[in-house]
Amino acid sequence: MSGTNGTPVVRFAELTKRYGSLTALDRFSLEIAEGEIVGLLGPNGAGKTTTLRTLLGLLRPTSGTAELFGLDAWRDPVGVHRRLAFIPGEFNVWPQLSGRQILDLLGEVSGGYDRDYRDELVERFKFDDTKRGRSYSKGNRQKIAVIAALMTRAPLLVMDEPSSGLDPLMTATFQECLREAKARGQTIFLSSHILSEVEAVCDRVAVLREGVLVEEGALHELRHLHANTVEATFEGDPPALDDISGVEDVSISDGMLRLHVSGSTDPLLKALASATVTSIQMREPSLEELFHAYYEESAEEPAAAAAAPEPADQPGSDE
Amino acid sequence: MSASRKAWLRLYRHYLRLLRNSTIAWTLALAGIGAAVIATFEDRYTTEAELQALAQLEGIPAFEALVGPYSQIATVEGFTLSRWGMFAILVAVWGMRAAGRLLRSAEEAGHIEPLRAGAITPHGLLSAAVTAMLTVFAAFGIAIGLSHSALGMDTATSWALGAAMALMAAAFAALAALASQVFASSRQAIATVGTVLGITLGMRVIAAASGTPEWLWWVTPFGWTGFLHEADEAQLIVVAAFAAITTALLAGAFALAKRDLHGGVITAREGAADRVRPVKSAAGLAARITARAAVIWGAVITIVSIVFAMIAHDFADAATAMPTTVEVAAQAGWGRIDSLEGILGFTFALFIAPLLAVFAAGQAASIREEEASWRIEHLLVRPIGRTRWLLTRTAIAAAATVSVAIVAGLAAWAGTAVTGTPITLADALRGALNIVPVSLLFLGLGLALFGLVPRLTASLTLGLVVASYLLDFVGGYLDLPEAVLDASPFRHIASAPGADIELAAAVVMLAIGLAGIAVGAIAFRRRDLQEA
Repeated sequence: MSGTNGTPVVRFAELTKRYGSLTALDRFSLEIAEGEIVGLLGPNGAGKTTTLRTLLGLLRPTSGTAELFGLDAWRDPVGVHRRLAFIPGEFNVWPQLSGRQILDLLGEVSGGYDRDYRDELVERFKFDDTKRGRSYSKGNRQKIAVIAALMTRAPLLVMDEPSSGLDPLMTATFQECLREAKARGQTIFLSSHILSEVEAVCDRVAVLREGVLVEEGALHELRHLHANTVEATFEGDPPALDDISGVEDVSISDGMLRLHVSGSTDPLLKALASATVTSIQMREPSLEELFHAYYEESAEEPAAAAAAPEPADQPGSDE
Repeated sequence: MSASRKAWLRLYRHYLRLLRNSTIAWTLALAGIGAAVIATFEDRYTTEAELQALAQLEGIPAFEALVGPYSQIATVEGFTLSRWGMFAILVAVWGMRAAGRLLRSAEEAGHIEPLRAGAITPHGLLSAAVTAMLTVFAAFGIAIGLSHSALGMDTATSWALGAAMALMAAAFAALAALASQVFASSRQAIATVGTVLGITLGMRVIAAASGTPEWLWWVTPFGWTGFLHEADEAQLIVVAAFAAITTALLAGAFALAKRDLHGGVITAREGAADRVRPVKSAAGLAARITARAAVIWGAVITIVSIVFAMIAHDFADAATAMPTTVEVAAQAGWGRIDSLEGILGFTFALFIAPLLAVFAAGQAASIREEEASWRIEHLLVRPIGRTRWLLTRTAIAAAATVSVAIVAGLAAWAGTAVTGTPITLADALRGALNIVPVSLLFLGLGLALFGLVPRLTASLTLGLVVASYLLDFVGGYLDLPEAVLDASPFRHIASAPGADIELAAAVVMLAIGLAGIAVGAIAFRRRDLQEA
């Protein structure tokens, strides 16, 4: 968990959100400290958007709380929103307004923005702000969302699939902006499908599965919990790997050994020394592999049963 | 069966499904009201004296402006057809909306790409939608023919009415189909069809004036319902005229169907925005959004107001020659239609009030649209409270409603000034402001619905306006209890400036409107945002 000095910037406490009988989010708890970048991962329908919309006070928690800067997101949305900026994954614009008008409007209603920084961002994202809203493509609409959020220099940036629709060049620019924001000390909470993006910028990740937080921690910690992949070539007889703790999925073919090892690698290395090993490679699991590991588990064991049902909330949007 | 034929059939069935619910609702409502009119006529006008009194109402220009030409009103056919002169407007609106929805709105929502990428051509797409619409309109026509003849209306007239009304829906659907090819946005397409609807209705008003030639009725389809009476021997001509218009418009739509997706024959102003005035606040944005609708509706209402005002002298003079009729009309609650003020009061209460109410209801729908499109999120994730946002939009909508009413009043004054001695400016404004409370009432009800059942805001609010208006318009002929009739807010509008404003009713309507706004604001603060 975050090493918080005083109040965490974001704090979810046992947050539950139900739509009728569907539990979109089940007793979700998480804290984010100032200056941290935290990624929220999960497949479609896992509850990521519900988490963020509840944090923004757009959805009413069924139970539990979402707090920002110590203020309740549902009870005091205006106070909360003075200090954050949000980038949605899908940005519908007012068709009759130009890009410039939309940026200025959003800047003004945010309570102020850095005009020089806006101009710089418009330049960096190669955004033509003179067109009318209805003529922008999805990628260009997303640029409006990104620029409008970043130009406020809000202490907290909340993002829901922020780079969806951006081309690879613009995604790179966006990630650069995130690193700059982090360097300035801004706190960032983002959900993403793009694991390389999360891997590149996030200090910590939280993994959601069917509305339940299944894992949370620094990336290197998560990696430790999971098996490393070892690939080795050898000459002569293969090494004897039976009964070595933490080793599984061993496959040997044509002088190539492949296996997964979790926990300490010392017993494995000693066992390998008994054979003539010509090369060895060991690598940590990528986030993608971690991600797959979590979701394959999900297929095997269904999510924990939800708490006793409370009176049904009004049905709302899906996740 | 070929792949494209199969795809066409699937699409046709899909369109039928989309139209099903609205078809059931419109058919039940219209056939039901028509049937109720017949039943009431037979129940209520039984003695010779009653029928003679009814016959007195024949040939009054103001009424003909309202329902088109009517003859033999003391027969069940003539009486019923005269009501259909009004219902025909609803039929046209239905046709227009159905086509706009299947054609342009679906394209805007991105539903057409996957279809066009499949085995279906632009013509196939259009023909599937058009065939589906013609199918439901035909079913509607049959329902009208069956119900009316079963209730005792002459068979030939019943079926002529059914055919004419089915074709009325088809003609306006065909017009919307054509406009959907010409314009690149559903808003422009619908605005154009709406304008045509307004102009054809305006022509009916002009044709009703005593000085204009008889053949003018044939210029507007809204002048034809009266000719469906078997005595006129024009049934076939009317049906053929509707069929010809529909065919010509459809031919135009098909000729233009092969166009770019999301494009139109006339492309919308894209690219660089011209006059870029900064929009600096939520209120500024609300004003921008509201202004557009206010200008369109303001124009429509101004035209109606000015047309009536220009003919008001003539209408009043014509009525003066029929003192008995004027008395009968006054007893029926139509006000003194032998004076300029009476004619304008009649115009405001019967024509402008429902239009202004539709504008106000549309504002509730527009507020909901900001949420449904999720654009509201851009504001609400910033330091703007929900209540403040909602009340800002509502205040601007209310101000726009009052402004449109004032413009209508000024237009009425100008119209009478052009053709003779004008009514006083004060009278004109009194007539205009008299219809504001009823519109604000519907705005408030719309807001309450927005807070409580957001996804139903548009349909229920507009439905309430239409139902209330019909209740007031035909309710008097149905033997409904007074309490039911009084439920229609339109019933409580005095014919100002011809009569005094009913202050108590106005205050009650405003209070209900305000209560609706309060309920809406409280409920909205307490619920989740909900997408479309």
